[in-house]
Amino acid sequence: MRVTQGLEQTQFISALDSLESSLATNQNNISTGLAFTTPSQDPAAAGEVNGLDQVLAQSQQFSTNASSANSSLETESNALGQLQTQLQSVYSLALEANSGTESPANLQAIGAQVTAIQSTMLSLANTQDGEGNYIFGGYATQAAPFALTATGASYAGDSGQAQVQIAAGETVAKGDSGDAVFNNIPNGNGTFTVTPGAGNTGTGVVGATSVTDPAAYTGQSFTIEFTSAYNSATSSSTYNIVTVPATVPTPTGTYTSGQPISYDGVQVNLTGAPAYTPATVGPPATPAVGDTFVVAPSTNQSLFTTVQSLITALTPPTGTTVTPTQLSNAVASALNNINQAITNTGVIEAQVGGRINAITTAQSVATSQQTQLKTSISALQSLDYASAVTTLDAQNTQLSAAMQAYTLTQGLSLFKYIQ
Amino acid sequence: MSDLFQISTSALQAFETAISVTSNNIANANTPGYAEETVALTNDVPSGAEQRQIGSGVAVNSVNRAYSAVAENQLNASQSSLSSLTAQQTYTSQIDNLVGTTAGGVSTALTNYYNAWSTVANDPTSTAARQALLDTTQSLAQAFQTTSGQVQNLNTQINAGITADVNQINADAQSISSLNAQIAIGSANGNGQAPNDLLDQRDSIIANLSTLVGISTTTDTNGAVNVFVGNGQPLVLQNNVTQLTTQPNQFDASQLEISTATSNGNVISNSITSGDLGGLLAARSQVVAPTLNKLGLIAVGLTTSANTQQNSGLDLTGNLGANLFTSLTPTVTSSGNNTDHTTATAAITNAGALTGDSYVLAYKAGTYSLTDQQTGAAVALTGAGTTASPFTAVGLSITLSAVPPASGDEFLIQPTANAAGNVAVALTNPSQLAAAGALQTAAGANNTGTGTIGSATVQTSTNASLLTPTTITFLSPTSYSFTGAAPGTAYTSGANIDLNGWQVAISGTPAAGDTFTVQPGAAGNNKNALAMANQATFGVLASGTISVNGATSDLVTSVGSQAQQINTATTAQTAVNTQAKQSVQSISGVNLDDEAASLLQWQQAYQASAQAFSIGNSVFTTLLTALSAT
Repeated sequence: MRVTQGLEQTQFISALDSLESSLATNQNNISTGLAFTTPSQDPAAAGEVNGLDQVLAQSQQFSTNASSANSSLETESNALGQLQTQLQSVYSLALEANSGTESPANLQAIGAQVTAIQSTMLSLANTQDGEGNYIFGGYATQAAPFALTATGASYAGDSGQAQVQIAAGETVAKGDSGDAVFNNIPNGNGTFTVTPGAGNTGTGVVGATSVTDPAAYTGQSFTIEFTSAYNSATSSSTYNIVTVPATVPTPTGTYTSGQPISYDGVQVNLTGAPAYTPATVGPPATPAVGDTFVVAPSTNQSLFTTVQSLITALTPPTGTTVTPTQLSNAVASALNNINQAITNTGVIEAQVGGRINAITTAQSVATSQQTQLKTSISALQSLDYASAVTTLDAQNTQLSAAMQAYTLTQGLSLFKYIQ
Repeated sequence: MSDLFQISTSALQAFETAISVTSNNIANANTPGYAEETVALTNDVPSGAEQRQIGSGVAVNSVNRAYSAVAENQLNASQSSLSSLTAQQTYTSQIDNLVGTTAGGVSTALTNYYNAWSTVANDPTSTAARQALLDTTQSLAQAFQTTSGQVQNLNTQINAGITADVNQINADAQSISSLNAQIAIGSANGNGQAPNDLLDQRDSIIANLSTLVGISTTTDTNGAVNVFVGNGQPLVLQNNVTQLTTQPNQFDASQLEISTATSNGNVISNSITSGDLGGLLAARSQVVAPTLNKLGLIAVGLTTSANTQQNSGLDLTGNLGANLFTSLTPTVTSSGNNTDHTTATAAITNAGALTGDSYVLAYKAGTYSLTDQQTGAAVALTGAGTTASPFTAVGLSITLSAVPPASGDEFLIQPTANAAGNVAVALTNPSQLAAAGALQTAAGANNTGTGTIGSATVQTSTNASLLTPTTITFLSPTSYSFTGAAPGTAYTSGANIDLNGWQVAISGTPAAGDTFTVQPGAAGNNKNALAMANQATFGVLASGTISVNGATSDLVTSVGSQAQQINTATTAQTAVNTQAKQSVQSISGVNLDDEAASLLQWQQAYQASAQAFSIGNSVFTTLLTALSAT
């Protein structure tokens, strides 16, 4: 091949340009510490790093979310702990009132203490978080959800439970609604309630109740209606079980104070002397009237209704009186209901604890995921300094060799030898 | 005797010419386009009766150029390809830098936007979180606009390049035609001696023209060269020049196209595929436009999905969410060649069906056709183009102002080309961000059955009664009634219940008297904000297979791949070009060492001839002396 000086020069210049360009790219990579600074240097890795960066940022957001949820749940947990303390106090006070030895003045004093506790409970129910949101309002976080009424408390919230995303596809409730904590508490023993008839005149008091045969229990309401006068000598009388629709023949039984009455898989303990008034022929003719006790499935009852009933029994409004039997029944009912509230609060406390655990787990998973992501990003994006510096060195050598070779060959010319 | 002088004199003249030619070669060693010249010597044949065995000297027959048309053509073709790639490289590398590893900052802005929604979900009533979200949304819109604007600016650079190229091509064509005329005269008058310097000049101009546009040439018998561009459009025929002109694109006046006088104003841009001009046209259609379309597609995916979600949530004031972003509509332009004033409008009906391509709607001979501008494929069209029955295709609905338009009318529909530049935030007040779900459901506190109610979904967000609280009361385990509606609707577990534009399902066995409520979302409801944050990974594009986030990664990879591909092709073509240069140089180039040897050769021959002359002189003197002695 015939070579000319002009071609040699052009080729040398273009080789020089190309070498200096690679040298500059490499130098830029070394000074930034990145394996590529534009996508064209490694398109697949650039796309992947872009995606991983987004996943990493999202994961970091999940960690932030988890912290936020954790703080909300800590606030709730604290409120629930205080509520539990208040419930224990009411329970003790109710027991004290139920001893049968308290004077009316003492009962008034106990009633006053329960009233004070009720207002503490109200402020707990209207707890606000650091941002001023009412934590027991469900989704309605902007207004105080609870307000006292004559029979308990009204609820302006809803049963919503806001979720917080703590991992891809994993959300956790950041609180519980007032419905779940204060309103939806099953009354009685949690399965059924025993309510003395409003017109009872005897001294029958409801004691312990239980489901003895869950298989036989149908959940049907029935009324225990006394059908004979109480015999003080034998502490006994008779009763009918009245159901709707009527069971034929009507189940009957003999009542002995303190002995359980069993029907439909449940057991009800009554004590005292239920009243019975036989029918008179008149005039005016009156039907036979016996004391009644209604057994019905539990319904949800607000904690505030429970506490208000207790207060009303302990401190009857002016113009009304409460017999010792009525007081005993009211306190017994209150004890049952408070017990249910204690159980309910305990369950929710446990759930909150479970959520806090889930958050802790999610946070540690997120932390290790973030470390993993950073490692992956770094593996794709970070410069291999050893190889880059070696390459730089090689490029440098090549460049100076090219320069030297050019000056050497340019020195060769026949004209030098023509004298 | 006179022979001796004649022979020596002819040799001295010939060698002097040879030394001149060699000196001229040395003088032009670095002149671009110069072809090495050599002297062709012939021995003079004795004439007349004196024909004997001794010749009568030497003569310069001609001075020849060392030239290979094949090698020159190869060099010109490889130069055209290289120039095209270099022009494209200028733009791919700019986009490579602009889009960079974060899609021009769009990717980062998107992540911040989705995370800001997550923060709002954590505390939906916090004004600070909402304001931060609104600010992030504004930054996101800005990122789209800036990136799109920077890429759009490349079109201006391309137009300037096209204009400059066309001017230079016309100037070169003019020079070639003038040289054609001079060469024809020179050849005719040269007695067989070619006008070498004119030929060199013309080759040099043709080489320059090759860097601007791919050409093909033919040579006529009179030595004139005819130059053609594109698919054989003549640029130079003998002494005549057909100039290239630029004209606005029929749809988009801001884009310049190429045409010639002989093409009757028809655009020949598509046939120009090499040279700097071909590279500029390719950069515009294959680099700049697709990048804008891809970026626009991301913008459309983001804004439509965000707006849909906004519309199905409640803002802090309890109203259904208004659009977060202004709705993006396709750009529709009528062809400048249309013969009537019919206009077309288009709307995006399904972002998931968009391809990122642009379409041409044409009406000819009673038939409508829709063609994908990038692939050239025909697209099926349904509907009649009227408001009542618009054309629907590829996620678009297209309406014409008058049906039918004039035959031959064409409309360009660009669903995504300008979308990224038009991303704008429609909301100004942080309380307008719809963090709450539109509806929330609840079961009555004293329900005794096992019925449960699912989430209510908005079916028709425009229903006026959508947000009216509704209680569903069960009359028996098998029938229910709404507030104010006819009682006794039969109940099926798990079946959808539709009312006021929402839908909800109740399952299980409710008891008589059980109630379920559907009511507007309260302020602390964060369902919509959660859904917004989850859109980060939710497939909205390409039939729901690619998320907005994923599309940015795809953009980064595709821009990088294209730049890488052009870089690789340029490197390869540079090698081809160098090879072609070497071929030409090895034939036509001036090697100074060769010339030095030639100089010595001719110098010695000249000296020897002069010596022969001197000997002839002394022979003559000897003869004269001898004669005078007698």
